[in-house]
Amino acid sequence: MHKALIIDDERLARNELKKLLQDFPEVEVIGEAANANEGIEKIENLSPDLIFLDIQMPGKTGFDMLLELERAPHVIFTTAYDEFALKAFEVNALDYLMKPVEPKRLADALHKLQQAEEKELAATLAGVNRGMLSENDQVFVKDGERCWFVKLSDVRLFESVGNYAKVFFAGNKPLILKSLNALEDRLDEKVFFRANRKHIVNLRMIDKVEPYFNGGLLLDLKGGEKIEVSRRLAVKFKEMMSL
Amino acid sequence: MFKNISRYWWCQIIGWSINIAISIFFVSTFGKTGKLYFTSLFITCIAGLLITHIMRLNIHYLKILDKPIKKQIASFIIITIIFSVLFGFIAESVDHLIKYNPERLQKFSRSERLFLSSFNAMWLILFWNMIYYIYHYVERNRRQQLDTLRLEAMVKSLELQTIKSHINPHFIFNALNSIRALVDENPERARTAITELSNILRSSMQAEKMETVPLQQELDIVKDYLALEHMRFEERLQIEMDIDEDTLNQPIPPMMLQTLVENAIKHGISKRINGGLIRIISDFKDNHHELVVQNSGKLNGYASLNEDGFGIKSTQDRLNLLYQGKAYFQIHEIEGGMVESKIIMPVANLLSIVKK
Repeated sequence: MHKALIIDDERLARNELKKLLQDFPEVEVIGEAANANEGIEKIENLSPDLIFLDIQMPGKTGFDMLLELERAPHVIFTTAYDEFALKAFEVNALDYLMKPVEPKRLADALHKLQQAEEKELAATLAGVNRGMLSENDQVFVKDGERCWFVKLSDVRLFESVGNYAKVFFAGNKPLILKSLNALEDRLDEKVFFRANRKHIVNLRMIDKVEPYFNGGLLLDLKGGEKIEVSRRLAVKFKEMMSL
Repeated sequence: MFKNISRYWWCQIIGWSINIAISIFFVSTFGKTGKLYFTSLFITCIAGLLITHIMRLNIHYLKILDKPIKKQIASFIIITIIFSVLFGFIAESVDHLIKYNPERLQKFSRSERLFLSSFNAMWLILFWNMIYYIYHYVERNRRQQLDTLRLEAMVKSLELQTIKSHINPHFIFNALNSIRALVDENPERARTAITELSNILRSSMQAEKMETVPLQQELDIVKDYLALEHMRFEERLQIEMDIDEDTLNQPIPPMMLQTLVENAIKHGISKRINGGLIRIISDFKDNHHELVVQNSGKLNGYASLNEDGFGIKSTQDRLNLLYQGKAYFQIHEIEGGMVESKIIMPVANLLSIVKK
């Protein structure tokens, strides 16, 4: 059973989608929002596990809204013809529906979602601490015209750049508007380790550990990045790894 | 320093230098040269350069190159004769002054000498003029060809832009989506919505064929368009119309008002959470027909308009093409948090420009 939220500025568009979803008993529409701000509010209050999100909305676009969320729920974009959005989708194959929505496409999208969730469930049997972001949580990141949903388990490294953090995953490193300290508070410390003032590394992405000056360590990440660990934190690192 | 010398002066200098070189070559081969010969030749050539320059100023002053070809040829012959006589007279005077070739002085009378040197000069002047006219003829042709090409390219891109800006696909699919929702909710409204949408699609297809349409016809389309947008935006979109009935027959470029209203919705109403107002005004003012679209919002939302290919530039280009600079397009912010775009066109019955 999915708890779904519909975010679209047009009442008729929301009605139409609700109507289409009546044929899918596994989806329960728990709310609607008419713009991005309302959407954020409802997501926080109702914590849906799926949102249907229109891209072009007054005030903030659907993309802007996702960037403000700490943890993005599953998202199925809905859009009428929109060159800009289509380009973003082509690059990253996010799931999207074109309005007017074809029932068959909607069924496919929901099916895909089901599969993804089953995989996740198997992976996080112990996903208890809800306040924390687990490895399987995804964040929405955007770099110019390109955007991605990134699983935290795919992130190698967070690097501090002023008030922003650079997220390293696969061959990309876009910026997100979050400070490294705020991230450290929310990330699971069993997986993400604060190596120094500027870096948080994913422990599962470490390729090699080498000794470094002054009793510090140098971590070789799978992407080729080399991160220093100070002597004080190296002690903590060794403790964690020796478990 | 040489860069400041124009192509014309280069030709003058080189041409006369060649003339001097050839003269020296022939005279030193077949006759006898002397200090006096060189002086005469040199002064004559300087005089020739000055005379041909005066001749060019004359050609420019009389705008001979702009005249039809027959007149050009006639003026070409007259000018050649006049300046040949002038040149001949000067050349003869020079020879007389420096006392070059005294035998000739004895052999011929003054008028005979004048005729002979004018005849000699004529070949030079004729040659000079031929080069001058041929150069300009070729150059003009080349430029004309370039202009035609450029014009064709511009017309093409304008056509594309106007076709592209006629109807925004985003609008069509959103409208279809709303209609589908209405089929259950309000079948009667759904039926009229389909009629409205087909009216808009039909007129956008016909728009390319016509240069102008009566305002009445364009307004019908805009009303259908706004009705569909109102169906989407509901209470977020308010519409006001203030149309002077006498303007209803005025011819206007098809889909132009429609484009402005579409932009007003896209950059104004759809960006505002609480929506806003669209006002359309058509009126006569200062002997002109003014067509105005106002919408709630700020102008900075329009900043990307030029790059869009929509709106401002293509509207002005179309007006220029159709009214040859007698119609204007403006867009600016006005009081009350509104943006106003305005087309000012000549009144049709005062100008016959529109029907072609």
